[in-house]
Amino acid sequence: MTDLAQDLARAAKHHNLEAGFDVERIRQDFPILSREVHGKPLVYFDSGASAQKPRAVIDAMVEVMENEYTNVHRGAHYLSQTLTDRYEGVRETIARFINAGSENEIVITRNTTEAINLVAATYGRKFLSKGDGVVISDMEHHANIVPWQMLRDEIGIELKIAPIDDRGVLDLDAYGDLLDQNTKLVAMTHCSNVLGTVVPAAEIVRMAHDRGIPVLLDGSQAVVHSKVDVQALDADFYVFTGHKLYGPTAIGVLYGKAELLAQMPPYQGGGDMIATVTYDKTTYAEPPYRFEAGTPPIIEAIGLGAAIDYVSAIGMDAIQTHESALLAYGMERLGEMPDIKLFGTAPEKAAIFSFIQEGIHPFDTAATLDRAGVATRVGQHCAEPLMARLGVDGTVRASLAMYNTTAEIDVMIAALERARALFG
Amino acid sequence: MSIPAEKLTQYDEYVEALDLLDEESRFEYIIDIGKRADKTPFPSDCMDDVHLMHGCMSKVWIVHEVVDGVHEFRGQSDAIIVKGLVSMMTGSFSGLTSDELAAVTLDQVRGLNLGALTMQRQVGMMAMLKHMQKLSQRAENGADRSAAAE
Ligand SMILES: Cc1ncc(COP(=O)(O)O)c(C=O)c1O
Repeated sequence: MTDLAQDLARAAKHHNLEAGFDVERIRQDFPILSREVHGKPLVYFDSGASAQKPRAVIDAMVEVMENEYTNVHRGAHYLSQTLTDRYEGVRETIARFINAGSENEIVITRNTTEAINLVAATYGRKFLSKGDGVVISDMEHHANIVPWQMLRDEIGIELKIAPIDDRGVLDLDAYGDLLDQNTKLVAMTHCSNVLGTVVPAAEIVRMAHDRGIPVLLDGSQAVVHSKVDVQALDADFYVFTGHKLYGPTAIGVLYGKAELLAQMPPYQGGGDMIATVTYDKTTYAEPPYRFEAGTPPIIEAIGLGAAIDYVSAIGMDAIQTHESALLAYGMERLGEMPDIKLFGTAPEKAAIFSFIQEGIHPFDTAATLDRAGVATRVGQHCAEPLMARLGVDGTVRASLAMYNTTAEIDVMIAALERARALFG
Repeated sequence: MSIPAEKLTQYDEYVEALDLLDEESRFEYIIDIGKRADKTPFPSDCMDDVHLMHGCMSKVWIVHEVVDGVHEFRGQSDAIIVKGLVSMMTGSFSGLTSDELAAVTLDQVRGLNLGALTMQRQVGMMAMLKHMQKLSQRAENGADRSAAAE
């Protein structure tokens, strides 16, 4: 074999591309997955809150700090030039990952929350006015509720809520009815962090565009579980957060169509976002820099770039296939337990299980899972209005990722049986 | 201010029992206490917003009265584990004066969990203590005011 052929063979074996998706190999890439909790192997079912990091991400961040670190966009020296190139290279990586038309449509933010606040504060303040409607769904994370409420309180827009049915499926007809003359923006989750519901995003965008209404999609959960193509969706804004995509915290992404970003005023003022500054007048840089005041999250960007390279090498389709198998298995096992009430049974959904055990407080269930090494989240999951819609105070949420296995679901089921014995 | 040892017998009993157990058994012990707490029902009309302690992942209610100059507490929660924890807290630290209550330390509170639950922050045992201290202070101040009014 030639060297190249050998390298390719090794790379293929590494991610087991020939044999399909090898979860055991992937698990070995995540150092934390070999640790124990309460003397039991960690079963990490809280990736919806934040995903674990592969060695590639950790190494990339350490490497940049050890060998390449400096500020970007500023220095007249070798390190600054090379790191600026790498940093800007990540913007291209992100653009390719979601198939943006250009890297100039990628604004780096701190997280999803900041990306949505940015759109509300700039696009919202400029293009929305009193009486204009913003449509969200009944299954939004607080990050896609509160910024619009703040805008409502500030300038008098109206929030309209597109309802869901009992399975957690968006009611498309009711959504369509909300797209009236007053509605000037749709801001909707692409995938619910509580129910796992994946909405028909392309259809949602098409319906809104038929009325000339732009659409922001919250892809925090969606980009993690499947291939996203912002041009195919024709989304006007698409936002997500790095730490759920196996990348570091404190970095997020706002994709915005170039013609929209070009019309938006800056978000915060400071260095990096200007063209020229005098005491009399400052002119602002072009997008995306206009929206990136101050020193950006450099190390985090390198980490996010490594995370995207990592999932791309495995393939989002392969990840989705594996997670679909986990979803099917989990739904089956949980469905067999008479005391489990599942929330979120939409036909299109990600491997997120929200449930309660009848007669047992979710906290007691989650504490018992924790004793078994199973990490879940309990409570309202930053979605209080959705909890009210579901008529519960809170749920236990097991949110799975590419590194999880059916055997781990068995561990959870056994722990749920123990909870039944302890509390039932 | 130190707390007279004889006032902490219930606390000591809990800590001794927990000490003898491994982590897994401690977990079940706390659940047991939570279940046993139901044998002396908490007044259901006190499970209201007035007695609700804020900032917990499950609901926690604490009622309080002053008997012969010391503070008596009873606690309730909708989660059994938390009911166990709040029962241990109210059982351990009832019968103290306000000053004694103010002298209860973080380490003492930690002694009532001993790693059985990693959700210390959410369970909020320290928050329970603070809440009990606040209730006692409020009663104290109220008593001062009514004494002054007499
Ligand atoms: C659907 C959804 N939107 C927004 C967010 C907020 O993400 P972040 O806290 O990283 O801004 C989350 C994560 O909790 C989420 O799941």
